[in-house]
Amino acid sequence: MRETAELRSAAQAEIAHLSARLQEAEDTLGAIRNGEVDALLVTGATGPQIYALQGQDAETNRFRGEMLAQVSDAVIAVDHEERIIYLNTAAERLYGFAASEALGRRISSIRQAHWLRPEDEAAATFALREHGEWRGENIHLRNDGTTVYVESGITMLRENPTQPAGMLAVIRDVTERKLNEGQVLVSEIRYRRLFETAHDGILLIDPSSQQIIDANPFMTTMLGYSHAELVGRELFEIGLLNDQAASREMMRTLKRTNHVRYDNLPLESQAGRHQEVEVIANLYDENGRQVIQCNIRDISERRRSEEHIRLLIAEVNHRAKNLLAVVQAVAQQTAKHGDPETLAARLSERIDGLAAGQDLLVKNQWQGVEVSELIMAQLAHFQDLIGTRVLLVGPPARLNAAAAQGIGMALHELTTNAVKYGALSNAEGRVRIGWQVMADELPVFSMSWLEEHGPKVAPPVHKGFGQVVIGRMAEAAVQGTAVIAYNESGLAWTITAAAADTLTPTQDAP
Amino acid sequence: MIAAPPASTDPNALLADASTSEPIHYVLRLYVTGTTPRSMRAISNIRKICEQHLEGCYDLEVIDIGQHPALAEGEQIIAAPTLVKKWPLPLRRFIGDMSQTDRILLGLDLLGASSAASSPRP
Repeated sequence: MRETAELRSAAQAEIAHLSARLQEAEDTLGAIRNGEVDALLVTGATGPQIYALQGQDAETNRFRGEMLAQVSDAVIAVDHEERIIYLNTAAERLYGFAASEALGRRISSIRQAHWLRPEDEAAATFALREHGEWRGENIHLRNDGTTVYVESGITMLRENPTQPAGMLAVIRDVTERKLNEGQVLVSEIRYRRLFETAHDGILLIDPSSQQIIDANPFMTTMLGYSHAELVGRELFEIGLLNDQAASREMMRTLKRTNHVRYDNLPLESQAGRHQEVEVIANLYDENGRQVIQCNIRDISERRRSEEHIRLLIAEVNHRAKNLLAVVQAVAQQTAKHGDPETLAARLSERIDGLAAGQDLLVKNQWQGVEVSELIMAQLAHFQDLIGTRVLLVGPPARLNAAAAQGIGMALHELTTNAVKYGALSNAEGRVRIGWQVMADELPVFSMSWLEEHGPKVAPPVHKGFGQVVIGRMAEAAVQGTAVIAYNESGLAWTITAAAADTLTPTQDAP
Repeated sequence: MIAAPPASTDPNALLADASTSEPIHYVLRLYVTGTTPRSMRAISNIRKICEQHLEGCYDLEVIDIGQHPALAEGEQIIAAPTLVKKWPLPLRRFIGDMSQTDRILLGLDLLGASSAASSPRP
């Protein structure tokens, strides 16, 4: 019984299945009769064959479809509801969707469109509505999240003049080009900024016409010509080279060697300002076109610096020789006078005194030394006596280099003598150091060293080198007169000279 | 992608789907012929039906018989456009441009959508 029931059930299922197949076959025949199918698929000896039922139209459509499938640009057609009705192989690749998945879906389900500028969307809508087509660039966001820059041409498809049937889009991936354009733009901004802010004049010249095609702002400042005035001129016309022949010669050399350099050319601005310039010109290839770049640097300041340095070196050399001559004289005189056993110590002290004055001059860049500053330097070991036993009285006055050297050495000798034999050798003695500038038709500078309350003074029996230093050497340094008086109450030394030969104008030390 | 249909073709497996609250996932294939207007209409119409009645619960594949004749032959397709309902069983075929929405819905067992057992959505 159970087997019979199962057999009956299986038979019923088979009958239902066959009924459904029969119904399908009837539906198919009905559809064919009613013209609801495009093609029939018939299995023959060589495999399945497709028979189109729409004749010429179907064949044309098939041909068009095959053509579009081979186009390298993505081609997508959508109906009036923006459902995809066609996409070619390139579109499948571009958006990562197989046609079998994408057909019938809304276009927005396979990609989102972003506009480069907010106003582009309205412009595209207007163009499609008014002209039936739009061409432009925008960004497509794919379903995998990646973006692609595209250049699209969209055409409205119409069933009749008033009824839109859909749109056909031809889309080209221009991502690489856009990225390159972005890099080119960055490069353009970067190098234009260099060109426009450079503190060298830069000219770009067309080698064939030899005329200026561009000039940076600094060039217009150097020459006093506007940009418009420079463009179209040749180099000799802006005063850079003497004449047309020189200009042409430079061009010939450039074409032969690709490089020309002039270390020192005179250049006059439109206003007549003379400048010395260095010119470096190179011939470059600019994407198949040759161009000359001329870098022009104003070297006037550099020339002045070089001249200044040359003068300084000569001056230093001169002063070094002078100093060595003084040291030589001091050494000879120190050796000639006094005890040979103390020669080294005395020579060392004198050179120290000379060095103290030298240090001050160097500190003041050889622009002279204040008298008070010179005294303090020479009495550096007796700083605590200044103001008590050593009194300084005098106005601000700046000795020139020669006077500072001579008077400095004299002060050193006077101090050494006072410490050994004079007013600073006992507990009561004092030294008054005074100086003044006496106004006259020819102003006179005088300086004195007066000792008092020291041991009784007697004139020296032998004339030592110290007396030479405070006498003849000091006089020679200031071209003046030195007077030495061995008063019983103390040594008195004065020196007098024309202020013009002794002083430099008073100024603040740098 | 979408979940594959159950490996079994036993119609009884349907009972399992019907007895749970999980929506039935439809697997459909539409065979067309290139870019003819009827093919375009068929694609557009079946997509609309799916989006309105099977949203999120279907997998529709559009196949050009010109590109894949062997696939069509294996599916016993004799005319295009033809829609094949591969899942849920029983397998059904529909011929034409899919504009007869009621007939399609009936064939897909979607007209009684209020029925919890056959509704693709809870």
